[in-house]
Amino acid sequence: MGGDYCYDGSDVGLLTLLADIIPRRVEPRSIGVEQPQQKDLFTAPVTVTTDPELAERFRVELFRRLTPLSLEQLRRAWYADHPGRELMICRFLLLVWREGGRAGTMLANPHVAPFWKLAQQVGREAHRYLGFVRFRETTSGYYYASLAPDHRVLSLIAGHFADRFRDQHWVIHDLRHGEGIVYDCTRRRWLLLPMLAEGDPELTPAEETFQRLWRKYFAVLAIGERENLSLQQGKVPLKVRPWLMEFSE
Amino acid sequence: MAATIDLMDKLKTLAEGAKYDVSCASSGSHRRNRDGIGNAASCGICHSWTADGRCVSLLKILMTNCCVYDCAYCVNRRSNDIPRTGLTPAEVAELTIGFYRRNYIEGLFLSSGVVGSPDRTMELLIAAVRTLRHAYRFNGYIHLKVVPGADPLLVQQAGLVADRVSVNLELPTRKSLALLAPDKSREAVVEPMRQISSLIVANRAERKESRKVSHFAPAGQSTQLIVGASGESDRQIVTLSEQLYGKMDLKRVYYSAYIPVNDDRRLPARPLSPLRREHRLYQADWLLRYYGFSAHELLDEQCPNLESDLDPKTGWALRHQELFPVEVNRAEYGVLLRVPGVGVRSAQRIVAARRQGSLRLDDLPLLGVVMKRARYFLTARGRYAGDCSPGSTMLRSRLIAAPAKRDHGQLSLPFARELAVEAIATVISGEF
Repeated sequence: MGGDYCYDGSDVGLLTLLADIIPRRVEPRSIGVEQPQQKDLFTAPVTVTTDPELAERFRVELFRRLTPLSLEQLRRAWYADHPGRELMICRFLLLVWREGGRAGTMLANPHVAPFWKLAQQVGREAHRYLGFVRFRETTSGYYYASLAPDHRVLSLIAGHFADRFRDQHWVIHDLRHGEGIVYDCTRRRWLLLPMLAEGDPELTPAEETFQRLWRKYFAVLAIGERENLSLQQGKVPLKVRPWLMEFSE
Repeated sequence: MAATIDLMDKLKTLAEGAKYDVSCASSGSHRRNRDGIGNAASCGICHSWTADGRCVSLLKILMTNCCVYDCAYCVNRRSNDIPRTGLTPAEVAELTIGFYRRNYIEGLFLSSGVVGSPDRTMELLIAAVRTLRHAYRFNGYIHLKVVPGADPLLVQQAGLVADRVSVNLELPTRKSLALLAPDKSREAVVEPMRQISSLIVANRAERKESRKVSHFAPAGQSTQLIVGASGESDRQIVTLSEQLYGKMDLKRVYYSAYIPVNDDRRLPARPLSPLRREHRLYQADWLLRYYGFSAHELLDEQCPNLESDLDPKTGWALRHQELFPVEVNRAEYGVLLRVPGVGVRSAQRIVAARRQGSLRLDDLPLLGVVMKRARYFLTARGRYAGDCSPGSTMLRSRLIAAPAKRDHGQLSLPFARELAVEAIATVISGEF
């Protein structure tokens, strides 16, 4: 039992690792990309080599064992940017292997509650970014949005934008995690790609106009007698404001 | 360039006129994107929040702020000396699409001052929405205001192009409507509401027969009341809302705390804490729609107004202490919903989680229960967590008391010795 496990940091790598340990009912002491700083006295850290075939088989197994709701929670927790996410996912899956589908509703269980809370956090952030993405029209003919979310929410929001803006080329760029979605409206496909920050793209004149109109509109909309800045800050935290044109001058 | 500046000014003036409309919801419709732009997300999405903490979801704008009416409470009334302007249907469509493509907004909320006649105004509004739907193939959310007194045929057309339609009731009673909005009659307001309600019901039945029948106002209808501009009690307002939800099948009733924008002898001076009252009314409204309460349970002739320092559910629970505490592991869902500090989500979670094993008090916060209030009204495995007995007369003051900032267990002793002894004594005895 126990032990430290390492993988290469990719999604397939983590699936391989889980495929390796879950059926054996091993509860690891830690799971990480790098070897743990403090080593266990009795066991050497195990590095799992990524095996796409094994990972795929395990993915199918997950679909078979989890209820739709748990699967959705897993998808959310998977994209969390949290140092303990691998361990939380692993503990939850161990419980699923032991208890079956009902593990998903054992909300007060010490292994389910943290997993479920993490999934909730990611889900909430993803929902917020459905509203906070701000596209800018570039001279190269596509709409570009940059943001820096806490979690890797792009895969969770891509479908929504692909359906809504299916007649324009667009890119959503996550600056914090160095990845982005590119949507091609001729082939109606989106792709998640690693993406570097390379300065701001050149904007069209119409873009400037709409940004000014929007700022003006936003400023007028508040009712002075009801001012409540702390409520506003709770809803629009300062960390997201650099990406919203209505908050930048 | 001149055109842009012109549009900028128009947008400013027309948004200024529309901002007092409270409705902001973009939920309840799931219009799909059929080879155009946009869709409606049934959960609704907020895109930003203004300095007053209200969300921006829809581009809320007036077609024109010219108005033939002279309602006492309205910024756009005929007798006000403000710049008047208007947009063409093409301009409205262009603005909406420009904002929508950049994901600033979820859709359009289009209202208008009354120009010429109600029918003429309604035609203008419908023309703008048609341009959006047909020329731009826009499938996003559209909330359209129905002008009281408009022809039933136009009301029907409005429902066919919009996701949500609304008629503003404006004031809770016929008397205050006659006093403050003498140009509008109660019948002119209620008649289109009734018509929309029956059209929605008929449409729902037809769509069950055939999916090819087009939607009529898929996100339902809503209305808005100004609260505090006339002398009605909360009881009158909440009872009215209950009737609107029950008989007219409304999706929402919005309450707008009266803010003086005009000097008018018919209007009261600035009322006391209007926002608090508005907040309590919304809480009561939620209890009607999601918690199975009825208006007469919340308010009666003895106490016709909601308490300002207690939420309506806690107030109700304090008046019915004989029903509490309830056992979370056994109580029915409907009973759990009535416990202060337990909401719809946490009640659902309790029901799901207790199937897998009985719950302890410590589990409840994990499920989202607000123990600050709930602990006085429930038990788990027979244990009660309140610091005074259920039914105690101290309960009310405990619940009203300003939430104490949690200090982290560090006992700070005052320097004067007598005081310190007293402080320790209270800590030991648990009395404050």
